[in-house]
Amino acid sequence: MDGLSATGKHNGTSSVVIDFSNVGKTYRSLLGNSVKAVEEFSLQIVDGEVLGIAGPNGAGKSTLIAMMLGYLRSTTGSITINGLPPRAYVERNGIGYLSELIAINPRWRAETALIRYATLAGLPSDQIRTRVGEVIERLGLEGHRDKKIKALSKGNLQRIGLAQVLLRNEQILVLDEPTHGLDPVWTQKFREIVAGLKRPDRTILIASHNLDELQRLADRVVIIDNGRLQRIVTTGYEQGGAVTTRFRLTLAGGFDRVREVFALVEETGRGEYDVTVGSVKELNIALADLIAKGGLVASVVPERSVLEQQFREAVGESR
Amino acid sequence: MIDGRLTRYSLWQFRDFVIDRGISIMIIGILWGYLLIEPVRHSMGGAFAMIPESPTWMILMTITSSVVSLAVLIALNGLVSTDRKMGYYRFIFSKPISPVAFYAQLFVVYMVGVLVAMLILALMLKHFVPGFSVANFLLYSALIYIAMGGIGFFISVATRFDWLTLAAVWLGSHMLRTLYGAKPGLAGKLVQLLPPVHKLDAVANELITYRRADASDTVWLLGYGLGFFALGLLLLKKGQLAD
Repeated sequence: MDGLSATGKHNGTSSVVIDFSNVGKTYRSLLGNSVKAVEEFSLQIVDGEVLGIAGPNGAGKSTLIAMMLGYLRSTTGSITINGLPPRAYVERNGIGYLSELIAINPRWRAETALIRYATLAGLPSDQIRTRVGEVIERLGLEGHRDKKIKALSKGNLQRIGLAQVLLRNEQILVLDEPTHGLDPVWTQKFREIVAGLKRPDRTILIASHNLDELQRLADRVVIIDNGRLQRIVTTGYEQGGAVTTRFRLTLAGGFDRVREVFALVEETGRGEYDVTVGSVKELNIALADLIAKGGLVASVVPERSVLEQQFREAVGESR
Repeated sequence: MIDGRLTRYSLWQFRDFVIDRGISIMIIGILWGYLLIEPVRHSMGGAFAMIPESPTWMILMTITSSVVSLAVLIALNGLVSTDRKMGYYRFIFSKPISPVAFYAQLFVVYMVGVLVAMLILALMLKHFVPGFSVANFLLYSALIYIAMGGIGFFISVATRFDWLTLAAVWLGSHMLRTLYGAKPGLAGKLVQLLPPVHKLDAVANELITYRRADASDTVWLLGYGLGFFALGLLLLKKGQLAD
């Protein structure tokens, strides 16, 4: 957990790709009413990083993304992508963008929609059909290629959305609720595809309500609420540091040893205990001790992920 | 790798025009022309002829100017605003594409579409009216597209209700110019700033009937349309795609 360290540096060679500097966005109505959607948001995202953006509804995630793509202008502060203003960057290089709402002309057919996007993305004419065929196959859309967009289910539409992201090898990908509307099988496949997109020269942003998804895919997760950056969480327990975490421990033997090695234990069932530790390191020391004393560990499962715990704390604190 | 992508995409834009707008324009043009000409032709029998300055020629002028104005309204409807209203811009402009270039090209492609539709209608009309000048009718159509379309383009960038707003601006200008155009004082001067719709009938008549048009009227119409078109592009460049 990083608290509010806003720069992602995995190693000495990473360079900043996206730089939010004190960004704010206020919506003003014609009647003079104003709503602050984003306030004093500063963050640097480096190449090779997968950054998750988490926050409750209306937290400002979509506004941030719209500003990053140059669809909205920030009211205060600045955003640069590889040193350029967002719109200039996008017009020069393009960004692979999967929006939360998949808006494609309903009269277009699935395959021709992708051919259109491939044309706009600048793929050479002689490669367009091949590339479109590849992404259609990769996303299991063969049976839907001639269907009109309006005839597609929510899940298939979501797959078309990801298909248009994959047409070109963009350096930056922005995925807003990528698994929204997908069935469990395709949710898993989507995660595998997105995990496969990670590479050292590519930056990926994933906005999601699904903390488990962000925990699996992202290197860091920014938690925003009320338009403000509340917390930056580094996913993964290896960097867990000092955070109080509860684990569900299931034993097959040596039940009476549990209370000897864990200070905070609550028995929840036969052979099942909730143990609270200060860090992952503390958990491992205690488990090693337990096993040495004859305990037979069947499973250890976190009650909540680090991210979920941080999210609850951050959103709770900001309310 | 990315050169010429917009030019290649113009074929898709033209296809969209044909399917979404061209067919409607053709149907309206044919029906309108048929409904107004056929009764006259039927009642006049062998004496039917449309020659300049005859009453029947005035019917022809009404038909042609109305069809062109309607065609431009249909072509311009939602040119920019639909993409923004429906959110289609999200995927389109995440590609390495400038919205300014994209919509400027769309404006030109739709102009070509309107002219092709008008060419087909004019060739059909010429079958009944041999003296009808197809070339001058196309010139008139191009002029109206730029004059009216330029304003329509700006409105489509600025608002979501572009079709209604353009129709209101066009008809409102007609009414206000008729009411106050010749009056002295401030009102008379202010209406001169409105779109020069009062010049359209004169330009249509001159171009189609006499095959020439007053240069100042033409420049005024073109200048007004191109000015608003440029303003629309500027607004696209400086404004926001999302609300």
